[in-house]
Amino acid sequence: MNSLFTEEQLLLQAAAREFAEKELQPRAARIDQEAVFPEEAMKMLAELEMTGIPYPQEYGGGGADMISYALILEELAKQCEATALTLSSHTMAAAPILTFGAKEQITRFVPALNSLRKIGAFALTEAGAGSDAGGIVTSAVLDGDDYVINGTKIFITNGDKCDIVLLFARTDPASKGNKGLSAFIVEKKVSDFEVGKHEDKMGIRGSHTTELIFRNCRVPKENLLGKPGEGLKIALTTLVGGRIAIAAQAVGVAQACLDESINYAKERHQFGRPLASNQAIQWMIADMAKDVAAARLLTHHAAKLFDLGEPCGTQASIAKLFASEAAMNHAIKAVQIHGGYGYVRGTKVERLFRDVKVMEIFEGTSEVHRMIISGSLIK
Amino acid sequence: MPNVIVCYKWVLDEQDISVNENTLELNLSRAKSKISDYDRNAIEAGARLVERFGGKLTALSYGTSDVKSSLKDTLSRGPEAVYWIGDATATKADAYVTANVLAAAIKQIGSFDIVICAEGSADQYSQQVGPRLAALLGAAAVTFANQLDWADGQLVAHRKLENSIEVLRTDAPVVASVLPEINEARIPALKQVLAAGKKPMTELKISDLQLDAAKLQPKNKVDKIKGAVFNRKNIIFKESNAAENVSKLLDCLKKESVV
Repeated sequence: MNSLFTEEQLLLQAAAREFAEKELQPRAARIDQEAVFPEEAMKMLAELEMTGIPYPQEYGGGGADMISYALILEELAKQCEATALTLSSHTMAAAPILTFGAKEQITRFVPALNSLRKIGAFALTEAGAGSDAGGIVTSAVLDGDDYVINGTKIFITNGDKCDIVLLFARTDPASKGNKGLSAFIVEKKVSDFEVGKHEDKMGIRGSHTTELIFRNCRVPKENLLGKPGEGLKIALTTLVGGRIAIAAQAVGVAQACLDESINYAKERHQFGRPLASNQAIQWMIADMAKDVAAARLLTHHAAKLFDLGEPCGTQASIAKLFASEAAMNHAIKAVQIHGGYGYVRGTKVERLFRDVKVMEIFEGTSEVHRMIISGSLIK
Repeated sequence: MPNVIVCYKWVLDEQDISVNENTLELNLSRAKSKISDYDRNAIEAGARLVERFGGKLTALSYGTSDVKSSLKDTLSRGPEAVYWIGDATATKADAYVTANVLAAAIKQIGSFDIVICAEGSADQYSQQVGPRLAALLGAAAVTFANQLDWADGQLVAHRKLENSIEVLRTDAPVVASVLPEINEARIPALKQVLAAGKKPMTELKISDLQLDAAKLQPKNKVDKIKGAVFNRKNIIFKESNAAENVSKLLDCLKKESVV
């Protein structure tokens, strides 16, 4: 028994591992090569009640804690990061509604998201706004009982599949920067927006990334989340959980790089002995194991603080920064250990190598996280 | 609506057991425990029976004190309650002792319609516990089942025989041992895992089962368990002509009676 975790957390980890090995592992290559949205896998995750893991059961959520969520995401990411990311992006859409929504909004939207009757997405980034949410120019103007939205969001995960979008737009045209932003719950069937360009990505190809275009798109005013002007606060609060989720996935990818490297180094023989008998390889594997363990502990520390309701923004940034950079570094080493085989399509580490790069970019770039961390220290 | 009891065994995970190739000794030091794979199918068979026909599913296990670690795992797979006997006698128990203990425990739990066991356990696979339990409980015995249904108060079982399927009906009480192919055991859903700890878990003491000391003495005494190592012949065919290599390979396989 691993005393760091409860029995329930370990059972959920085991369930996710079994699911991922049985159902994701055989699908992952095709999901990547053909950029197939992992719809089937998401439905299976819904049956396992894993599409709203950290949310209250009274709203159809799993009622599990953030540590369980991190353990599950790690297992999914080990086999198919595109599926893990599709799940975490979907899951993130319910968080702001639960934290800032009126009771009516929660009961209307959250159970539908948790059960996967509706797929969620989170739309913050624009051409001129990413790390800097203050650059948002998408506008929302009150007209009668509706807000009229105009603008284009880019790089939206689940963009072409979502039914509900958490949209951030500027409600106060006179405002600049971080002020005057508001959050909206936009339903595709009510407020029809267009799905624009599909991004043809280097990795996580099964996770769909699109533009969302809003042209005089009318959103009922009761779909405003929180108060006008609270948008940035809502976004930043939600991003903390999202960053822990990405850190957990980076741990999964790093672990997969390690597992693949160990197996290959034991199997592959050169100069009459296994690769693993070379100290150069042994040290790479030791370094990978060291960083995976550290990344996992940092992630679980942030998750634990989150579960305790303590401030954990800096810790989430530390975990996300460390885990994503460790995963990237070790994907490079894993490909190196695999030699030529690591460079060809169809080898798992080749996919991991492409999948992992974005982890240093989305949910706050490494540079943004260094700003957050140093900013919390140097006041 | 059948009252079903499913028996399961908490075994060492064979994937974690390594064999010393020279001494053939087993290294168990890294082995974690798990519900015997075949018993996962037995639990699933019980869960599906009560889901389809109503009734109640209770789980029961006899093992060392370590069996306590299995309870939530088991309860996340469908049973409403679990009874467990954690006793040192289990380390040396054979099918005779195991059946004696389980039968006494079942009598203590109360009445039942169906007891489900796996055809064998993942470690010993003696295939005896089911039929022995039936004899001890005065119940019908059904073995090699790959389908179970409940109709008009009777168990309808499909038994997979050498070249045929036997479909039989039997009155309760009955002990059925099931083949792993009877189903694919479910992966527990998240809320089932979280709810498992809230279900009743009852420890039965072996001293309360009113068993004679003789019934706890195994009939079989295991002297040693050794690993089986696959010795490779390392024959390599090096003819330049592929057809010749294939024909030599075939000759070898025939000699070994593989083909």
